[in-house]
Amino acid sequence: MRGFLDYVAGDSILHRLNPITKIILSLCICIACFASNNLIFLVGIIGIDLVFGAVGHVFDKAVSLLKGLVKISIFLFIIQVLFVHSGTVLVPLPFGLDITLDGVVLAAKVVLKIIGATMPLALLLSVTQMSDLSNALVKKLNVPYQYAFTFTTAIRFIPIFADEMAGIMEAQTSRGVEFDTKNIFKKLGLILPLCVPLLISSVKKINSSAIAAEVRGFHLRNRTSGYKDYPIAGNDTVAIFLSVLLVLFSLYLNTL
Amino acid sequence: MITFKDVSFSYTPTVTILRDVDFSIERGEFVAIVGSNGAGKSTMLRLMNGLLKPGVGEVFVDDLSTHTNKTSKLAKRVGLLFQNPDRQICCNTIAEEIAFGFKNLELPQEEIDATVADIIEDFGFDGARDPFSVSRGERQKIALASIIAVAPEIIILDEPTTGLDYRECIHIMDKVTALNETGTTIIMVCHDMELVLDYAKRVIVVAAGQIIADGNAHEVFRDTFAMQTASLLPPQIIELATELGGQFEQADTVEQIVDIVKARKAV
Repeated sequence: MRGFLDYVAGDSILHRLNPITKIILSLCICIACFASNNLIFLVGIIGIDLVFGAVGHVFDKAVSLLKGLVKISIFLFIIQVLFVHSGTVLVPLPFGLDITLDGVVLAAKVVLKIIGATMPLALLLSVTQMSDLSNALVKKLNVPYQYAFTFTTAIRFIPIFADEMAGIMEAQTSRGVEFDTKNIFKKLGLILPLCVPLLISSVKKINSSAIAAEVRGFHLRNRTSGYKDYPIAGNDTVAIFLSVLLVLFSLYLNTL
Repeated sequence: MITFKDVSFSYTPTVTILRDVDFSIERGEFVAIVGSNGAGKSTMLRLMNGLLKPGVGEVFVDDLSTHTNKTSKLAKRVGLLFQNPDRQICCNTIAEEIAFGFKNLELPQEEIDATVADIIEDFGFDGARDPFSVSRGERQKIALASIIAVAPEIIILDEPTTGLDYRECIHIMDKVTALNETGTTIIMVCHDMELVLDYAKRVIVVAAGQIIADGNAHEVFRDTFAMQTASLLPPQIIELATELGGQFEQADTVEQIVDIVKARKAV
C-alpha cells in the first residue's frame, strides 16, 4: 500500500472533474456504504470503486489498496465474529465464543462498508492534486485558506510520516531490535518506544513546513489569490446527480 | 568479512539499482564507497546488514547469508550508522542511549555499566543529558558511540559527516580510524573526496549500479575514466599533483608536495 495517497498524473475523465465534484462523489459513496445494509449493494460499491480506478488509470493502485484493506479487514472480521453470539450457531467454540450466522453477516457488512468507503477517498487523492483540492475548497466552498491548507497538509504528511517510521524501524533493526520478528504482538510492543523519535522528527518537519509557508506569505493568501478557476462543467453536474442517486438508491434498498 | 556474490537488486521490477556486483571486504579494511547520487551506494550498505535482501546473488557476513539470517541477529557483527542520527536515537538520556544496544546481548549489568561509563568518558558526553537537546554533530557522535559500545566487527557509515562542521567531522573520523587500527572493519559512503583520501585505504567507485573501479585511494582517484564515468571530481591535491606531473605525480598530500618542492630548491 506504499504510496497509496500519491497523485498519479493523467488526463482521464476523473482527473478532469472539478475537485469539489470528486469530494462530493467520494462522500456520497461513503454515505451510501454506511447507509446500506445490503451485502450485494456493498459488493457492488467495491466494484464501482475498481471501475473508478480503471477509468482514472490507477487500476493497479486500486487493486493493491483493496488487497491492503482486505488484510486489515481480516483482523476486524475475526474480532467481530467472535463478539456477536446471536443467531444460528455455525461453528460451536469453547468459552461461549460460538461463530453464528448473525456474527458472520454483521462482520461481512462492517468489513465491506469500511473497504467500500475507504477506497473512493484514497482514489480521489490519486486523481487530484493537493493544490487543486485546497484551492477549490477555498474558491468554491469559501473554506478559509488556513483550514484548507491544514487539511491538505495533514493528508500530505501521512506518507511522509509512514516513510519516517519505516526509516526509524530500519535504524532500530540495525541496532538489534527484533522488528524483523514474525510475532505481531512482539512487534507492536517494540513500536511503542519509537513514538519518541517519530514525534520529535514530526514536530521538526511541521515546524520547518510552517516557517516555509510563513516566508512565502501564507498569512496573505485568501480567496482571490489563486489564478486558476474551477468551473462546474457538464460532466460535474452528471457526476453529482449520479452520486446523489446512489445515496437515494442505498436508502431505498433498506426499505425493501 | 563481507562478500557480495553476483548481486543484483531492484526496488521495482522496471528499474535495476545494482547489477552483477561482486566483491569482498576483508577483516580490518577501511573502505570508502563513492559515486554520484542514485548510483546505488546506500542500497549496497543496506544489503550488507540484511535490511535489504538481494534479488539475485547472495551477500555474506562472514559465513552468514543475509537471506537466511535476520538483520537483528547480524547486528551483533555489523553496526550501521545512518545519515540521520535522529532515526536511531530513542532514549531519554545519553547513557540510556549508549546502553540500548546491550538489551539484546544478555551481558552482566556490571559489564554494561562499565562499558557505557568508558564510552561516555571517551566521547566527553554528559550521560544524564537528553540526547535530543544537543547539537546535530553531538547527536551523530551519540549514534556512533552507541554502535561502538557493542563492539561490532564491522561498522558501516552512511555519509557520517553530513551536516557536521570540520571539527566535528574530524572528531568522528578520528574515532573511526582508532577503531580501524584495533581491527574493526570500516565501510563508509562519503561524498567528501578529500575526507576519503585522508582516511580510506581502499576506494570502490559505483556508477549506475555497477562497480567501475576498486583499488587503493591513490590509484582510484587517478583513474580519470572512472572519475568521469561516476561524475566525481578527485581531491584537489590529486588534481594538482597530476597537473604538475613528473615527480609530483605520485604525491597524495600537501606534505609530500612541499617535501618535493623543498628538495628541488635545495638542489
